[in-house]
Amino acid sequence: MITNDIFGALQLMAVGMLTVFCILIIVILLGTLLIKLVNKYAPEEVQAKKPVAAANNAVAAIDATTKAVIDATVAQITGGKGRVAKITKL
Amino acid sequence: MDALYNILDNLYHMTAFSDIIAANGTFIIMYLLAFVLLYLGIVKHFEPLLLIPIAFGVLIANFPGGEMGVYQADEAGCIRDAAGNVLAENIWEMSLPAIAHELGLMNFLYYMLIKTGFLPPVIFMGVGALTDFGPMLRNLKLAIFGAAAQLGIFAVLLVAVGSGFFTIKEAAALGIIGGADGPTAIFTTIKLAPHLLAPIAIAAYSYMALVPVIIPLVVKLLCSKKELMINMKEQDKLFPPKNKMKNEKIIKIIFPIAVTTIVALLVPSAVSLIGMLMFGNLLKEIGSDTARLFDTISNAVMNTCTVFLGLCVGATMTVQAFLNWTTIGIVVGGFFAFGLSIASGICMVKVWNCFSKKKINPLIGATGLSAVPMASRVCNLISTQYDPKNHVLNYCMSSNVAGVIGSAVAAGVLISFLQNTTF
Repeated sequence: MITNDIFGALQLMAVGMLTVFCILIIVILLGTLLIKLVNKYAPEEVQAKKPVAAANNAVAAIDATTKAVIDATVAQITGGKGRVAKITKL
Repeated sequence: MDALYNILDNLYHMTAFSDIIAANGTFIIMYLLAFVLLYLGIVKHFEPLLLIPIAFGVLIANFPGGEMGVYQADEAGCIRDAAGNVLAENIWEMSLPAIAHELGLMNFLYYMLIKTGFLPPVIFMGVGALTDFGPMLRNLKLAIFGAAAQLGIFAVLLVAVGSGFFTIKEAAALGIIGGADGPTAIFTTIKLAPHLLAPIAIAAYSYMALVPVIIPLVVKLLCSKKELMINMKEQDKLFPPKNKMKNEKIIKIIFPIAVTTIVALLVPSAVSLIGMLMFGNLLKEIGSDTARLFDTISNAVMNTCTVFLGLCVGATMTVQAFLNWTTIGIVVGGFFAFGLSIASGICMVKVWNCFSKKKINPLIGATGLSAVPMASRVCNLISTQYDPKNHVLNYCMSSNVAGVIGSAVAAGVLISFLQNTTF
């Protein structure tokens, strides 16, 4: 009985790992294909990049690590959609 | 005098004292366990959103006379109490109001929300709404480490079966702890070994809370300082990624639809998890048009489900269901499943680095198990300890999010192979 179960477990291990790898490889290929297609047929990114450039001078006074932390926090909270326009010391 | 005696006797039987004296005292162990879980949740902040409802569920389920513990039905649907008395001949033929009336509130909630497999996919929908696939799409190749890290699930399944202590279905439910994903572990256990739901849920969430301890431990055992100092941004400068997204919004909207379709074709049993995950994510990515739905599923729905999931799982932790050697086996096996998943992710990165010019920090492999985003945060902390400028958070999130998909697929494979077998 245990031998049967071990054989079943080995079979599951082989099939399971193979399936997981296959699915994630397909996801990777699918993602790559999607990026290529979208880049080719709908490349425009609607992003307000100017405020960032304008804000650069204001940010200069703040050290790079602090800015990186603020940028990362804003990106995480807004799901990558938010931009830091201005940083002022209170 | 007799009247006074009757009043006192009625009072004695009205309170729980008569039940406490009649009980054998083992409920005190469950009470202590509940207090430990409450302490971990409230004071130590270990997964408080889930450990506190679970702990309170344990508390109310085990108090003698409270009748709030969940009874597990056997394969024929028969329910017995601790003394072996039949409480219900076949619960599958009982209506929900009858379950509520005859077996109490917690059994009603358990058989309606948990046993039907309703709550875990709904929670997955909320998880999807809170997940950002952006880092994964920006570093697609790193997603493969999310697959490698599922080895712990199957390795522990094999060892558990070999020990002869667990049936193959129980071993599969134990192994899924290595996926480091609470809803996935609960969903798989409900399908394969519902009598082990309580210890597996507790082990899964406890080890997820212990990610800041377990990952550094495995990383120290397997990685050198040189490997941990691999700077991913510098590697990106040396070997720039070929596909940069020019319109992230559209890609992020199409991606969940495409992944659901692919998974539905290849592993249909994983669709209840992946489909709900991707649906939640789609609502998030669409933006303002579905903002109200996104807000509801990521807050109200998810929080409501978490409350009932925690309470019901806690209520399954009765003395007879929890205090046994199987629980200890699950605690030990769960730890190894977790550790092996982290180790296999790291090992795959090491193998990758042998053949690739572009080197990858092994911490990215360590985050191949789910536990999003804590695993990534912990790995980022480790990398910055070796080099304060080496932030690997975004790269780790790629394999971390892929790990969620990987563990759900692994669960789907286990369920589809084992659910209808008589191993």
